[in-house]
Amino acid sequence: MRRLALWGPLAGLLALSLWMLAAVQQLPLADWPVVPYDPAGMTLDQILLAFGAMPRGMVALLVGAALGLAGALMQAVLRNPLADPTTLGLQAGAQLALVAATLLAPGLLAFGRGPVALAGAALASGTVLALAARRGFAPVTVTISGMLVGLLCAAIATALTLSRGEYLLSLVIWNGGALTQQDWSGAAILAAVLLPALALALLMARPLLLLSLGGEGARALGLPAMPLRLAALAVAVVLSATVAAEVGLVGFVGLAAPAIARRLGARTIRQRLLLATLAGALLLSLTDSALMLLAAAGGPVLPSGALTGLIGGPLLIALLPRLRATVPPETEAGDRPAPRARHPRRVLLVLAVLLPVLSLATLMAGRGLGGWGLLDPALRETFLPLRATALLASLAAGALLAGSGAILQKLTANPLAAPEVLGVTGGASLGYASAIFALPSPGALELALGAGGGAALALLALSAYALRAEMAPARLLLAGLAIGALSSAVLAAIMASGDMRAWAVLGWLSGSAARATPLGAAALTVLALLLAAGGMLAGRWLQILPLGGAVAGALGVPVTAVRLALILGAGLATGAASVLVGPVSFIGLMAPHIARSLGLTRPRDFLAGAMLTGALLMGLAAFGARSLAYPYDLPLGLFATLIGAPWLFAGLMRRT
Amino acid sequence: MSLFSLQDIRFDVPGRRLIDGLSLEIAAGQVTALIGRNGSGKSTLLKLITGQHVPTSGQILFEGSPLSDWPRRDLARALAYLPQVTPPTEGMQLDELVQLGRYPWRGALGRMRAQDHARVGEALRLCGVETLRHRLVDTLSGGERQRGWIAMMIAQDARTLLLDEPISALDVAHQVEVLGLVRRMCRERGLSAVIVLHDVNMAARFCDHVVALGEGRCLLDAPVDALMTPEALARIYGVEMSVGASAHPFALPL
Repeated sequence: MRRLALWGPLAGLLALSLWMLAAVQQLPLADWPVVPYDPAGMTLDQILLAFGAMPRGMVALLVGAALGLAGALMQAVLRNPLADPTTLGLQAGAQLALVAATLLAPGLLAFGRGPVALAGAALASGTVLALAARRGFAPVTVTISGMLVGLLCAAIATALTLSRGEYLLSLVIWNGGALTQQDWSGAAILAAVLLPALALALLMARPLLLLSLGGEGARALGLPAMPLRLAALAVAVVLSATVAAEVGLVGFVGLAAPAIARRLGARTIRQRLLLATLAGALLLSLTDSALMLLAAAGGPVLPSGALTGLIGGPLLIALLPRLRATVPPETEAGDRPAPRARHPRRVLLVLAVLLPVLSLATLMAGRGLGGWGLLDPALRETFLPLRATALLASLAAGALLAGSGAILQKLTANPLAAPEVLGVTGGASLGYASAIFALPSPGALELALGAGGGAALALLALSAYALRAEMAPARLLLAGLAIGALSSAVLAAIMASGDMRAWAVLGWLSGSAARATPLGAAALTVLALLLAAGGMLAGRWLQILPLGGAVAGALGVPVTAVRLALILGAGLATGAASVLVGPVSFIGLMAPHIARSLGLTRPRDFLAGAMLTGALLMGLAAFGARSLAYPYDLPLGLFATLIGAPWLFAGLMRRT
Repeated sequence: MSLFSLQDIRFDVPGRRLIDGLSLEIAAGQVTALIGRNGSGKSTLLKLITGQHVPTSGQILFEGSPLSDWPRRDLARALAYLPQVTPPTEGMQLDELVQLGRYPWRGALGRMRAQDHARVGEALRLCGVETLRHRLVDTLSGGERQRGWIAMMIAQDARTLLLDEPISALDVAHQVEVLGLVRRMCRERGLSAVIVLHDVNMAARFCDHVVALGEGRCLLDAPVDALMTPEALARIYGVEMSVGASAHPFALPL
């Protein structure tokens, strides 16, 4: 705590002087208006200061404080140093609710954005907690579920935004978490929520301390764990929803602030709550003042949320080593025996027969000018090669994503592992965006190379990290998530720039099979076959690795080399597939899950079943994307996400 | 030649020295108990002699050659290890688990031959889990699961078994069953075993030799009879104990 006495006032002074510096750039101190502010008697510059820069500085403090408090509360309740409104999908849920309301039912916003955002955040957190409860609120699983829910919400929000392009600009600026203000109302609302929340949180400090012994321990001391958990989380949800409604997505402040509080030596829950609130306020204030100064100096106008996302990714990685002490290994265990098919070969045979049948059906049938029906024989020569190319590419991409998901799930012994979580797709998006912005008129090859290069870079960063951290597989997933968060922050900044080229990136993010060239489709198919062959050869490794490094090493498996090879294989497969279908599809998560629920448990059966299922799913998605809105092609990746994700969540939550 | 020969081993983790200048010979063909208080370095020592940890200084010889010179596969053929907490085995049948013991011999791609299946069957039979071979490992009881894992070690055909607290979560009947099994394997098949144990009475009953550690140093290295004296026990555990005898010696805290 001694460090606090030094750093606290220093940081406060720095934040204040930075804001003053930015404000004085706007208007010299001598010309500042006097309280009370009366717009009637003020110059334009004075109005801009009193109703723009001043409330903005206040909002930065309040938003940071609210997020810091929300993060500290969630971390105390879930006993998870990685919990925060971003990693648990709260902000994305609130964002989705607001986007949906803006586009579909603007009337709902008549009562203000708050209630809508609250509903979205509550729904998202409910989903995450329901998923997490199935695995005993194990920290890694909670975080992964939260990030998945966040990805899903973002995908749906993107789909909605794409469908109504005219609203795009204002939405993406909001998404980026811009703190710009026109009056004091935002600050007033935030303060009205923050102060009671802080009081409630401090009242809960002692019960929360008991809860840090774990649910059973707390119950034994006479504290009902569930109501307390829900109450504390409700406060956190209200805080993050208010922030989302007022300023949009401001990522990772809730993660950083409690971490700073801990570094400063906050030991008890009460200290942590207070210090995290303070640290969050100062952190965001510093960030926002720096951005204001940057803009005043003629630099780009960036939303603060995008910048905090940039800080958040590396921070997440830096925090990962802390998890070693806090993850009780037994709670990460599965809670039900997996079903086991008596004749796995027959299941595989059925899948293998379904694939050509479905392919033939979607090749020949579909929706044309005359409605649903078989392809007109006269048009076959023109359409069949096009359809065949798109179909082949989709099948191969589906198989690749599913295969890489299956490998990752075996590697990490975690059924929530997926290539989408590995950050590779995030890297691919960044590569694609850089190609669009850096090259004057990039062709298909340049774009593919850009995406592939981005994926490879993300993969290299991940492997480097994984090797250093002795490859604890659960942490690998979180490092991947951090890379993904980093790339989405950069993308948000690109979008917020309002550049028209952002449209091209957004279009790619949602994926399309129609762009596939015959060469690309052939390459993807070859890759899929290679992955299948490699997976079959690695079957025994895939059986041994889930047992952990100690057992695998004792059996003579070269653990590090094998893990690295599998990660590289899975990453390359994901990167190649995401060039076609865009960064999010959930096929890599869904297909292995379906394979498991079909009773395919032995690694080779599991991998083959997952790849077949993935190809089937993606084939279906391609068919739907092509036919539903004929003659327009719907985005393939989004279609796959939208049909698959709800089913996946239902499946994960089902009790057996 | 001794099984393991440790020469002035030190092992440090940031801020702490877990093993402090330990020199030790562990003989082949007998059951050696590794005992000591919590945090005395027992499990660390076991991880050092399996090669999972590399000593900060000093050298470990296994069957006469330095542990670090052993090719991984050859080491796995000679040395089998049971972790303190056996990992969950999602969707795996017991016979599939035991078959994993053949990995050091067949590698990632080699076909399982008739001889391998015979080894697996024999291991299942020796450990008395033949009837459970088609059950999912995760649905077995604690004792059955532990015997299943030991069957995997037997199928591995290793000459040396290393077990880290194999009985800590078992009731007394299962404890006797598991330790009896290990002892029988050593007697009948000429194997060696090193077992980390917490229960001095179980150590006295089932082991031939005892190595006691305290703060990373060796406190006792003697035949197991030497353990069952009030003086030795007080030195190891810091607790006054009385030693009695019926069919076998036993010790109780005063």
